[in-house]
Amino acid sequence: MGIKGLTKLLADNAPKCMKEQKFESYFGRKIAIDASMSIYQFLIVIGRTGVETLTNEAGEVTSHLQGMFTRTIRLLEAGIKPVYVFDGAPPDLKKQELAKRYSKRADATEDLAEAVETGDKEGIEKYSKRTVKVTKQHNDDCKRLLRLMGVPVVEAPSEAEAECAALCKNDKVYAVASEDMDSLTFAAPRFLRHLMDPSSRKIPVMEFDVAKVLEELELTMDQFIDLCILSGCDYCDSIRGIGGMTALKLIRQHGSIEKILENINKERFQIPEIWPYQEARRLFKEPVVTCADQQPDLKWTSPDEEGIVAFLVNENGFNNERVLKGVEKIKAAKNKSSQGRLESFFKPTASVSVPMKRKETSTKPTKEAANKKSKGGRRKK
Amino acid sequence: MLELRLIQGSLLKKVLEAIKDLVTEANFDCSATGFSLQAMDSSHVALVALLLRSEGFDHYRCDRNLSMGINLNNMSKMLRCAGPEDIITIKGDDGTDTVTFMFESQKQDKISDFEMKLMDIDSEHLGIPDAEYQAIVRMPSAEFARICKDLGSIGDTVVISVTKEGVKFFTRGDVGSANIVCRQNTSVDKPEDSTVIEMNEPVSLTFALRYMNSFTKATTLSEVVTISLSSELPVVVEYKIAEMGYIRFYLAPKIEDEDEEMVPQNQADVKAEPA
Repeated sequence: MGIKGLTKLLADNAPKCMKEQKFESYFGRKIAIDASMSIYQFLIVIGRTGVETLTNEAGEVTSHLQGMFTRTIRLLEAGIKPVYVFDGAPPDLKKQELAKRYSKRADATEDLAEAVETGDKEGIEKYSKRTVKVTKQHNDDCKRLLRLMGVPVVEAPSEAEAECAALCKNDKVYAVASEDMDSLTFAAPRFLRHLMDPSSRKIPVMEFDVAKVLEELELTMDQFIDLCILSGCDYCDSIRGIGGMTALKLIRQHGSIEKILENINKERFQIPEIWPYQEARRLFKEPVVTCADQQPDLKWTSPDEEGIVAFLVNENGFNNERVLKGVEKIKAAKNKSSQGRLESFFKPTASVSVPMKRKETSTKPTKEAANKKSKGGRRKK
Repeated sequence: MLELRLIQGSLLKKVLEAIKDLVTEANFDCSATGFSLQAMDSSHVALVALLLRSEGFDHYRCDRNLSMGINLNNMSKMLRCAGPEDIITIKGDDGTDTVTFMFESQKQDKISDFEMKLMDIDSEHLGIPDAEYQAIVRMPSAEFARICKDLGSIGDTVVISVTKEGVKFFTRGDVGSANIVCRQNTSVDKPEDSTVIEMNEPVSLTFALRYMNSFTKATTLSEVVTISLSSELPVVVEYKIAEMGYIRFYLAPKIEDEDEEMVPQNQADVKAEPA
C-alpha cells in the first residue's frame, strides 16, 4: 500500500514539506478524496467486532454506508466540498500486487475459520480485519448514496489517486485527501492525510506540499518518482537491502535508477530478475487520467431527502430519526454562507526585514551544529 | 543591535493580550521607523497589523531591519511578569536566538530581565493597498465590544449595515434574532463618546462574530474604535495606540456561494411540494 516508509523519510529529510493544520481551516475548499481507500477503512473500523458486522435485514454489510454518510456530513458541516474519486480498472502492473493481496486474503480467511473454531478471540479480530474486501457492490452503494447527498462522484479511468492528483493539478480541487502516500508520487500539489479520521481521535490534518518535498530533498520530480520506486511501491518489487534512506542517498549520488544500476555492487544487492521499473515510472509520470478539458465541472447540490430515506432507512435498516437529522445537517450546511479568505483580497509581498535568529554568518551555524553533535556524542558515551 | 525603551510598558502588555488569541506565532519587524507586526490567523480569515512608531519610544535604536519570530503566548507570559507601571525595554542582538525584555519599576529599585527564545517562522506578508472605504464608523470602543458580545450570545454572524440613519448590527440564531442601531451622535461632552458616520455609499456586509469578539480584546488600548467598510473588501477594525501607532484587524467577509447552488435547490423544492 502506497510507498514504503515515505512518511518517515520525509519527516527526517524534508520536515518543512508537512505541516499540521486544523480540520476547521479547510472550509470552502474543494477536496478530492480517494473513495476506495475510505470505504476500505469504514469496512474495517465501523461497527465491526470480530466476524460480526453492521448489516441490514438481508445480512448485507452496511458499515461503508454508515461511514460514508456520517463522515461526509462532517466534511460538509465544516464547509468542505468533497469530491469522491472511485478506482477504475487497475493498471496491469498492479495486478501482481493485487494478486498477492488476494492470496493473503485467502490465507487470512482460512486462518479466520480456524480461529473461529478454536475460539481464539485475538485471532478472530486479527484475521477478520485482513479478510475485508471492497466489492463492486460496496462501491456502487456509496456512489448512489453520495449522489443522493448531492456530492459529486468521479469515476477514474484507472487509479483513483492518479485522477485525484490530476484534478488538483488542474485546479479543479484545492487538495487531495488520502491515506496513501502514492498521491505525492503522482505529484498532487497539495496532499492531506487524516482528513477523514473521526473527530474523536483528534488527529490534526497533515498537509504535504509536493514542491517543498522536492525543494528540501533537492530532487527533481523524476528523481522523486525513482526514489519512491526504489523505496517500494505497488507496481513492482524493490531491491532487497535498499530502503528509503539508502535509496535517497543513491538517487542523490547517481541521479536515476539507470545510473544506480550501472554503479551499485550487484552481488551485494540482488536486483529482481523481472523488474519493470520503467513501466512503474511511466505509470506514475503519465498515469491514465481524464484529460483536463474533459474533467467534468464539479457540482454540489441539495440532498434528495426522500431518496436518502428510501435508500438508508427502507432498504438498509438505518434508524429513520438519525438519517433525518443527518439530512437536516446537510441542508443547514448548504445554507450557510461561506467565509472569505484574505488572500482573495490582498496579495502576498516579500518581507524586507532580515530574521534576527537565522541571520547568522555561514560559519556560525555549522559550528553550532558541530557543537551540538559533539555534545550529543558525549552524552551517548 | 536593537534596543527599544517604552515608558508606558503597559501598552505592550495590552497589545499582546489583544492579539495572542488570534495569532499564536508571528514575526515582529523592527526598522528605523518603528516596531511592527503583521500576521494572519491559521485559517487566513483575519489579519492583525500592529505599528508602534519609533517616536513613541523613550529610546529607540535599531541599526538595521530585523524580524523576530515569537511565540505570542510565551511572550505574553513574560510580559505578565511586568508590573502595570513598569518601563519595558526590548533588547536583542544580531545573530542571537533570544530576545530580552527588561522591566524597570518606576522608582528604579527593581530591574528584571526576561530572556526569551526566538523561533523560525515562515510567514506570508500580505500587501494591503490603501483603499477608499465606502463607509467609516467611529464609535466608543466599549460600546462596540458590548454589541459584539451581546450579538455573539444570539448568533454566529453579524450583518453590519451603514445607511444614512446610522449603523446597524444584526444577527440571527436558533433562539431568535437581534438588531442594534447606533445613530450618529456628536452632541456629547467628550469627543470619545461620540458616534460619527462618514458614508459615501450605503454598505452591508456579513462577518463571523467569533473574530469580531476576538478583536474587541484591544478595547483597553483605546476609547475609540474605527470601523471601515467597503463591499468587496475586508472590514478594518482599528484601535489607535496612544499617539504612537495603531492596531488594525482585517476580517474577510462571509460571501454567498456564487456558483451552482440556486438551480438544484429550486428543483428540490419543486420535487418536495407534491409530496
